[in-house]
Amino acid sequence: MESIFSFCFAILIAPLLPAVIQKVKANFGGRQGPPLLINYYTMAKLFKKGSVYSTSTTFVFRMGPVVGCATSLMMLLFFPLAGVAPVFSFHGDVLILFYLMGLGRFFTILAALDTASPFEGMGAAREAFFSTLAEATIFGILVLFYRLTGSLSFAEFFTGTQPIAITGAHGAQLILVIIALYIVMLTENSRVPIDDPTTHLELTMIHEVMILDHSGPDLALIELGAWFKLLFYSGFLAMLLDPFQLQNVWLNGLLFYAVVTFIYITIGTVESITARYKMNMVPKFILTPFILVFFATILTMELIK
Amino acid sequence: MDTMFVSLAVILAGGVAALLFARQFTLMKLATIATTSAGCILGLVYSLTNLLSNTGTIGQSWNWLHIFTLAFKVDSIALFFLVPIFTIPPLALFYSFHYMGDKAKATRTAVNYFFFAILVASMALVVTAANIVTFALAWEIMSLSSFFLVVFDYQVKENRQAGYLYFIFAQGGAMLLFAAFALLYHYTGSFAFSSFSTIPEGAKLLVFILAFLGFGSKAGIFPLHIWLPKAHPAAPSHISAIMSGVMIKMGIYGIFRIYLLLEAATPLIGQIVLVTGMVTGVLGVVYALAKQDIKQLLAYSSVENIGIILIGLGIGMVGVSEQNQAMAFFGFAGAFLHVFNHSIFKSLLFMGAGAVLHKAKSKNIDQLGGLMKRMPITGRTFLAGSVAISGLPPFSGFIGEFLIYYGAFYGINNHRIPFILAILAIVSLAVIGGLAAACFTKVVGLAFLGEPRTENAAKSTEAGSSMTMIMIFLAIACLVIGVVPEPFIRLAFAGIKDIPYTAGYDIQAFMEIVRQISQTGAIFIGLLLLISLLRKILYMKKVIGSGGTWGCGFTQPTVRMQYTGTSYAAEIIDFYRPFVPVKSIYTGISKIFPGKTTWETDVEDVAEINFQQHLIQPLLKLINKLRWIQHGKIQLYIAYIVLAIIILLLLL
Repeated sequence: MESIFSFCFAILIAPLLPAVIQKVKANFGGRQGPPLLINYYTMAKLFKKGSVYSTSTTFVFRMGPVVGCATSLMMLLFFPLAGVAPVFSFHGDVLILFYLMGLGRFFTILAALDTASPFEGMGAAREAFFSTLAEATIFGILVLFYRLTGSLSFAEFFTGTQPIAITGAHGAQLILVIIALYIVMLTENSRVPIDDPTTHLELTMIHEVMILDHSGPDLALIELGAWFKLLFYSGFLAMLLDPFQLQNVWLNGLLFYAVVTFIYITIGTVESITARYKMNMVPKFILTPFILVFFATILTMELIK
Repeated sequence: MDTMFVSLAVILAGGVAALLFARQFTLMKLATIATTSAGCILGLVYSLTNLLSNTGTIGQSWNWLHIFTLAFKVDSIALFFLVPIFTIPPLALFYSFHYMGDKAKATRTAVNYFFFAILVASMALVVTAANIVTFALAWEIMSLSSFFLVVFDYQVKENRQAGYLYFIFAQGGAMLLFAAFALLYHYTGSFAFSSFSTIPEGAKLLVFILAFLGFGSKAGIFPLHIWLPKAHPAAPSHISAIMSGVMIKMGIYGIFRIYLLLEAATPLIGQIVLVTGMVTGVLGVVYALAKQDIKQLLAYSSVENIGIILIGLGIGMVGVSEQNQAMAFFGFAGAFLHVFNHSIFKSLLFMGAGAVLHKAKSKNIDQLGGLMKRMPITGRTFLAGSVAISGLPPFSGFIGEFLIYYGAFYGINNHRIPFILAILAIVSLAVIGGLAAACFTKVVGLAFLGEPRTENAAKSTEAGSSMTMIMIFLAIACLVIGVVPEPFIRLAFAGIKDIPYTAGYDIQAFMEIVRQISQTGAIFIGLLLLISLLRKILYMKKVIGSGGTWGCGFTQPTVRMQYTGTSYAAEIIDFYRPFVPVKSIYTGISKIFPGKTTWETDVEDVAEINFQQHLIQPLLKLINKLRWIQHGKIQLYIAYIVLAIIILLLLL
């Protein structure tokens, strides 16, 4: 029951949190920014609209948003948000989940290529490239966590017999992991400095350009998927950062979402004070976390015997 | 055992029937397809029933020419490899009914069916052979019959060249195998496989490396893979499906069999196989990404999948030498399951490519586009196969890779070298997965989606019904194996039950995980349907418009503006540059008012270049100097023979 409640709460709050980023960015720019509920209004607006489909497209174009949204939801179904046991969980679930994420990307890319637009092709090519680099880091993290906990599931990582925590025995290595995961989060969610998600213009060269032709409820599904995915990654980070594991579920949840909000604020800050990298810089930037994680894993060779 | 020989006889009868009825084109096709398929189904029933029951190993032998013994033996490993050998050919034959539609080539088609039957039978003999003579015989028949299948369109010069290249690699590989066998015979004095483990420990590594290279040239390990991307585009598509889906796995079978027979204690063998697997996998998929010819791309993707299978075997072998039973068990089982899965989705993809080639008259991605609307069934099944081969759930490719991952993760608790190798294996599997997804989004996205780039692509229509039916069947199989993997995983487990070290591993806990995987697949599909329903409801009674793609204000788009395969892959290829040389030719602009200028780019195979520079050219130089021996005078040739006999008599 608790798990389902936690899952539903996450779905409901997922659109709220990105507004925090917008607020922070507005503050840096000396503006007031949109209301915190902006994304709910956007949802309502998009859901009310119809769509215009390009004559070039096929059913794949319509499937893209659905698959993308479903895969992001799967992540939340299996992740122990705020330490509450997830709705589903089994040994090995991380493998299938990150591969499902790959499936979502597969269809997003196909939907973009379906439009026959050169812009979207460009975005698709970049998305395909950068995600192969980010995937190496993610599996590096899984190797390290398996080494630390002997398990392959999100629930056991954080609530098992040897939970991973920054205050635990391997806190020092976790710092490297946290930095790595933060960069992966920026990559996978197409944030600055890899991509700029705010403008629906042709100049945002990766993710946003891929969804140029989507409109109405389809676009709403894509946005929802993106918010769930961002919540998953920041929740992952928050579980690593949050040092408290309290008995009280409510207090625990409050703390967890406070940390999540803090992560969203840092994303907003990063976006306000940095510019997007030139494209040829991006692969180097994405490979940095892999080195960090690999190093952290090598460290465990002597520490765990 | 007798059942299997009967089935082989029926298969060969099908081949002979093709020759007999060669004048009646349709009758010939029907007769041979029906007979050969019946034989295959009989063989499949035999191998499946024996595999799933606990019959143990069965052997049989005959005297041949009074000198040699032809010995056969089936254990679980042989039975497992028989499953794809008997499953894919009937499907490929059925597909060929419409694919081989050119009546003018009736005789040639009949010969093709004849060699097809021989190929199937010889593959079955390869996996059941129990001594050196039998194995070598079956192996050579397999190589030769597949050579004749490749050169079906022998009038085209490229096809002949591809055939020769394949022939050279097949025979070069066989030469290495015979070297390994000779070494074995030198120590044991016996042809029997069972005597291999008695040779001195020091010789085992050498024997293994020779055999590994020999079998590897058949399987397509890097850098011995260069015949694959040439031979597959040359062969008819259902032949490519058989060769890529089944025949190259005979190389894998050989590597695994020799490993088991040698019982070597050195951990080096496992490490060699694992590292080769990683290199083969990553470079295979990068080259696949770089190619624009669909069949060539699929050939490189076979190289990649051979890499994945070798990673699985390597994990298993490292597990054996590390005394880590779980690691060994899941490594081997994952490799076996991937052998089976790959035979299914690779056949599907080659058949799809064949349909495209037939209807759109091109296999170059940069000349296709928009086929999903014109060939809806081919397009949809190709999409299913692409998701499966990229290893994405809920399709079949994921399951085999999951087992390999699972085994590799068990390796993480080991000592230094296995630990590092396990990490590298996991990371390279992840990278291969990502690149494979990039590669197959390229094929589907650019060849099947978007707008047609040429006249021919725009005019293409759906392929014949025998072709589409088989593709639908294979696509459904990919999904079923992904969602209900349990019986297929049990099949793979049954396949490895005769491996001594992993026998008796308790699979109860793992079967629970398998059930969870299939539940996760079901949840995902349920969620997908739910969101689709929501989407339907949201779109009810709404205005759905249609128009051109948003060109960011540009109102005169042409189909040539679309992203091409070359540009899609460019950035990734650039990243792997030292291993993937790109050759571009740019004529440049010279005058003030520039005329027509051209720019050409092509990715060259680094293995091919090095073979040419460091092996072929020095060899040619040497052989050119010996050319005077060949003068065309028959009496002198006879003198050579007499001289050779005299020398041999004196020396021996």
